[in-house]
Amino acid sequence: MSQFDRHSGCPFHRRTDRSQPALAQSDASTSAHPERRRFLKGAGLTGLGLGLGGIGLGGTCPARALAATGHGQDVTSAPQEQDSQLRYPFYGHHQQGIVTPRPATGMLVAFDVLARDRDDLERLLKILTERMAFLTQGGSIPERNPLFPPPDSGILGPVVAPDGLTMTLAVGDSLFDQRFGLAGARPKRLQRMEGFPNDALDAARCHGDLALQICANTLDTGYHALRDIIKNTPGLLMVRWKQEGTVPLLPPAPGDSDGSARNFLGFRDGSANPDGDDDALMDELVWVGGDHDEPAWARGGSYLAARIIRNFVERWDRTPLQEQEMIFGRRKMSGAPLSGDGTEGKEQDVPDYRRDPEGEITPLDAHIRLANPRTPATEKNRILRRPFNYSNGVEANGQLDMGLLFLCFQADLEAGFITVQHRLDGEPLEEYIKPVGGGYFFVLPGARDANDFLGSGLLAASA
Amino acid sequence: MKRTRQWIATGAFALLPLAPITALLAAPAAQAAVAPEALVGPVADYKLYVLDNLEQLVSHTRDFTAAIEAGDVEKAQALYAPTRVYYERIEPIAELFADLDASIDAREDDYEKGVEDPDFTGFHRLEYALFHDHSTDGMEKYAQGLMDDVNDLDSRVQGLTFPPETVVGGAAALMEEVAATKVSGEEDRYSRTDLWDFQGNVDGAREIFELFKPLAAQEDPDFVERVQANFDDVEETLADYRLDADDPSAGFESYDEVSDADRRALTGPVTVLAEDLSTLRGLLGLN
Ligand code: HEM
Ligand SMILES: [Cu+2]
Repeated sequence: MSQFDRHSGCPFHRRTDRSQPALAQSDASTSAHPERRRFLKGAGLTGLGLGLGGIGLGGTCPARALAATGHGQDVTSAPQEQDSQLRYPFYGHHQQGIVTPRPATGMLVAFDVLARDRDDLERLLKILTERMAFLTQGGSIPERNPLFPPPDSGILGPVVAPDGLTMTLAVGDSLFDQRFGLAGARPKRLQRMEGFPNDALDAARCHGDLALQICANTLDTGYHALRDIIKNTPGLLMVRWKQEGTVPLLPPAPGDSDGSARNFLGFRDGSANPDGDDDALMDELVWVGGDHDEPAWARGGSYLAARIIRNFVERWDRTPLQEQEMIFGRRKMSGAPLSGDGTEGKEQDVPDYRRDPEGEITPLDAHIRLANPRTPATEKNRILRRPFNYSNGVEANGQLDMGLLFLCFQADLEAGFITVQHRLDGEPLEEYIKPVGGGYFFVLPGARDANDFLGSGLLAASA
Repeated sequence: MKRTRQWIATGAFALLPLAPITALLAAPAAQAAVAPEALVGPVADYKLYVLDNLEQLVSHTRDFTAAIEAGDVEKAQALYAPTRVYYERIEPIAELFADLDASIDAREDDYEKGVEDPDFTGFHRLEYALFHDHSTDGMEKYAQGLMDDVNDLDSRVQGLTFPPETVVGGAAALMEEVAATKVSGEEDRYSRTDLWDFQGNVDGAREIFELFKPLAAQEDPDFVERVQANFDDVEETLADYRLDADDPSAGFESYDEVSDADRRALTGPVTVLAEDLSTLRGLLGLN
């Protein structure tokens, strides 16, 4: 259990102290980190794992099992460990990679579908499901007569470790055009991403018939998965664009609560994210359910808004710290909301805007205040963010091309991302950021079991 | 392009590994069932094909370079694509002579200084002059150099023993060419005659495939059927862009006319061909 030696005692028993601010207690929209139920979830999975022949359970320490639900981690907590045997279940009502804790690397790959008819599309979806099921669980790669090209790229060696890999398949608005006869089954809020006022969209990095989110402990595992998908879908898929990113690993310090990872502007990102372990909250905000006025086949799915947002980091680094903190509404080092009196709170503290109607503490146009005004009316606009930091090279002007691969999930794209982004339009942060790509997608409901495939419900509903 | 291709339902558009890796393994293993002697005939036939194309390349290059030396921009422009086709068909062999391949067919991207680079010569240097500068000024030395290189290539190939694995592997190599630079329209960026080259690569790959088809069919008849169907598919798509359906020498529309949707329609079968043909050597027991 060497990965746990760093902190005191067995992490299985480590409970993070999250004192809820008294005034936040009654208001769901202000509860930053509701009490977590990992302990129970983890224990449940232990039983399940054993029943299924030991999904990813190594050794005797139950913490390993807990790793499968993100032991000690929220969706956007900084990743703490790099267990190559970390394995997330593939089959289920929902796809993986959404409420799954965010690992150290992630990428979004958008594809054009080359399949020419429904039969080809179905074949494509079956191949994707089959490959995703294999890759996320890991296993030995097959051998082949050396006179032939090898069936696997080999970049992970003879045995593919699961390495925390999750693969999440989503469909874009363009898949519902005339090609496959799917128009009648289109999720109601699925649409082509329109540019917002601050956008400078690059057509080569926008939209797509399909999107695949690939997250893993290491980028190599993600690239291996992507190359496997490409190798197995010739003539059916063509990569349209891709953007990978990372999140810094942050080994937990003793007594410290989980900190959110920092983005490339140096701020903790994810502090006020809704709790991915709270099933009821996820059913309300993230997963499409019976109450969401969507086609029945779409239940269990979710909308993904993806944005490639360039950060002007040199300019940011030349901006006074105080101004940076006013722009976000949080302290840079701790991630705590601004307090007004100079005292340093905790990242998990919840700002109380009702006591600050003029914005004397948290400016009215601060990023977090616009993004989530924390009023009863804006509760339904909350989204689950799961971003990664990217670095692509250098611009012609010598400035670094760095930014945020912003990914967020919501049950209602319009109430979620689109509304929040409209509220953010014109925010002071815009001087330092430039959205250049992305798209809207609908994450398909999960595949039930090995006899099912992703998108089966969509095809049946449009037959 | 106005006529976005119909999404034809075709069982012919088959895909390599259906139940991917497992199917690959079930595929017939190359037990070198193909006797080496059996390769002699097709390889000799292929050499004839190459020599034939070289002869055409030499004579077309003569006309093309003469037009440049005469300062006839329009004529040289018209001869540019029809001349290159012969080179594109035999690229797997031409590429064996790396020095000539660089001086005949390199693109400006291959040089740090781009078009200004003194080492940038050959077809694409002339393409830049003809289609970007619309001038033949100062091009005589490049025209003469191209003619010399093509003659040199011709004489070197005459004496060459064709290695069977290069010949058989050439089919896949040509499709990789198409997938890497033709579909994207990078090859002939000034003349926009990419579809000519595209067809040339496909012709060359198909020739190799046809010559070895009887041998491949003994190993895996399904493979042969699938590849054939995908070749048909690509050619059918390309045919949409012919200026005159009855006259191949009329050539193709500008690559600017190829829409994104059409590009995708081409990418599909090209990728399947590249994937399938990458197994041809193994199928025939060659390494
Ligand atoms: C490069 C672009 C962006 C950067 C650097 C950034 C950074 C941050 C930071 C540092 C926080 C505070 C910590 C936290 O709660 O996570 C935050 C909060 C948040 N951001 Fe962003 N963000 C960006 C873009 C966006 C976009 C495009 C949206 C949605 C349209 C968004 C929505 C939110 C939301 C909803 C919160 C939480 C507010 C709360 O509940 O208090 N952000 N962001
Ligand atoms: Cu332990």
